[in-house]
Amino acid sequence: MRVPLVAALALAAVPLSAQQKIDRRIAIAPDASIRITNMAGITRVTGWDHDSIAVTGSIAPGAGFYFGGKGPVAKMGVERRDETLADPGSTLEVKVPRNARIWIKSGTANIEVTGLRGEAECASVSGSIRVEGSLTLLIAESMEGNLNASGPMDVVRLKGGAGTITIRGPRGDVMASTVGGAIVAMDGAVVRAHLETVSGTIAYDGSVDPRGTLESVTHSGDVTLRLPSDISAEFDLESFDGAIFFGLMARGAEKPFRGKPMSFTTGEGGSHVMVRSFKGEIRILKR
Amino acid sequence: MNCTELRDRFDAYVAGTLSEAESAALESHLDGCIACHEALANRDRALGQTGGLPRSVVPPTDLWPGIEKQLASRRRFRGRVALPGWLLAAAAALLMVASSGGTVLFLRNWPGDRPAIQPSSHLTALESQYSAASAELTEALEKARSRLSPETVATIERSLRIIDQALAESRAALARDPGNQALEQLVMAAWRQKVDLLRRATALGQAG
Repeated sequence: MRVPLVAALALAAVPLSAQQKIDRRIAIAPDASIRITNMAGITRVTGWDHDSIAVTGSIAPGAGFYFGGKGPVAKMGVERRDETLADPGSTLEVKVPRNARIWIKSGTANIEVTGLRGEAECASVSGSIRVEGSLTLLIAESMEGNLNASGPMDVVRLKGGAGTITIRGPRGDVMASTVGGAIVAMDGAVVRAHLETVSGTIAYDGSVDPRGTLESVTHSGDVTLRLPSDISAEFDLESFDGAIFFGLMARGAEKPFRGKPMSFTTGEGGSHVMVRSFKGEIRILKR
Repeated sequence: MNCTELRDRFDAYVAGTLSEAESAALESHLDGCIACHEALANRDRALGQTGGLPRSVVPPTDLWPGIEKQLASRRRFRGRVALPGWLLAAAAALLMVASSGGTVLFLRNWPGDRPAIQPSSHLTALESQYSAASAELTEALEKARSRLSPETVATIERSLRIIDQALAESRAALARDPGNQALEQLVMAAWRQKVDLLRRATALGQAG
């Protein structure tokens, strides 16, 4: 299987002297594993209700495009012909079966994924990554770009660097980590979430499963959690050199606490909410 | 109707329980979709092959005597264990130490799985490991640096400065307040961030 596939890919990799349009399609398994490489430009992947892959777009001058696959695997990408040149920007519009497992690699290219129900793993150096859908698994990393995930996904793993991480409608198991960028999670209903930055802020707006955990760790960023006022949870809050505001039940002005950890239970407990900060402020507010 | 939805209806189609409209839609799809046509043919082949199998299988002999014999031998074995209490307690303590140490080392890569409070005795050992990993990765990153763009190198260096600053502040505070578990957690979080950033940056450079 591998030799014919490699041969097919080699034959398909055609260097293009001027910017060229591509329009290719192949039949593929509904849960196929698909690898896409496009280092510069933009890669858009859309899930559709067909057992096939359709690729359109434009390939930058001097770059080659390869595409091949059969049954459970497929592979495509744009490759440079001259390593001394800066990456030419290419646009790939790829339609894949909704339940496919996709793997996308990028350098500066932005990545957009919509309408998938399978799994996605996206990696970029400086491009942004935006994923919408109800995936069973999303893994996304970008050193400089923003990461944006929307939809009721089962497992989400996001790693940033300088960019902002935005998560809309997180469910299930979420882990988001960045160094200088902010983390914003809204409309959440998580079972287990771990949000971690060094200097970025953390904002969470949503609920926590009755037996779930919500952990936020930051060194110097502020943490703001907006939770239901009737949440039954064990709170474990500590900012070494920052103030803690607990306004979940407050009607008037919040009273700041400083220098002491706060551990208490609301309702009958059940959920666990933990915040650690070195010098950021912690705010627990009602939604 | 997509391919998956259609294939879910194969049983009803073969059994003749689909409505006329559903059957017509399915047949129309089959006419234009080779993959689904083959899936239906494969299903028919599989049913044909399994159709000749017996509908139930009766065990050739009564299994209970064999099970009873094995249970009896386990009861006998349990009866021979007669160690003194102090030895059992020592073994249990040893197992707990080995288990907790192993668990901390195993789980430290996934922050969400970490125990909320890590014992101080592990901090030195873990810091030492993180420090060694950090040094190795820094060396590897230096070699791969030329393959990264100047903008990416600048971002990585800026991020490392942020982490190092956080690490220095947390460690200084911990030195003033040894055993503070919240500070220990922050120190470990900073180390984790540093090693993870170096690992990712090195991988980018090596792939570059």
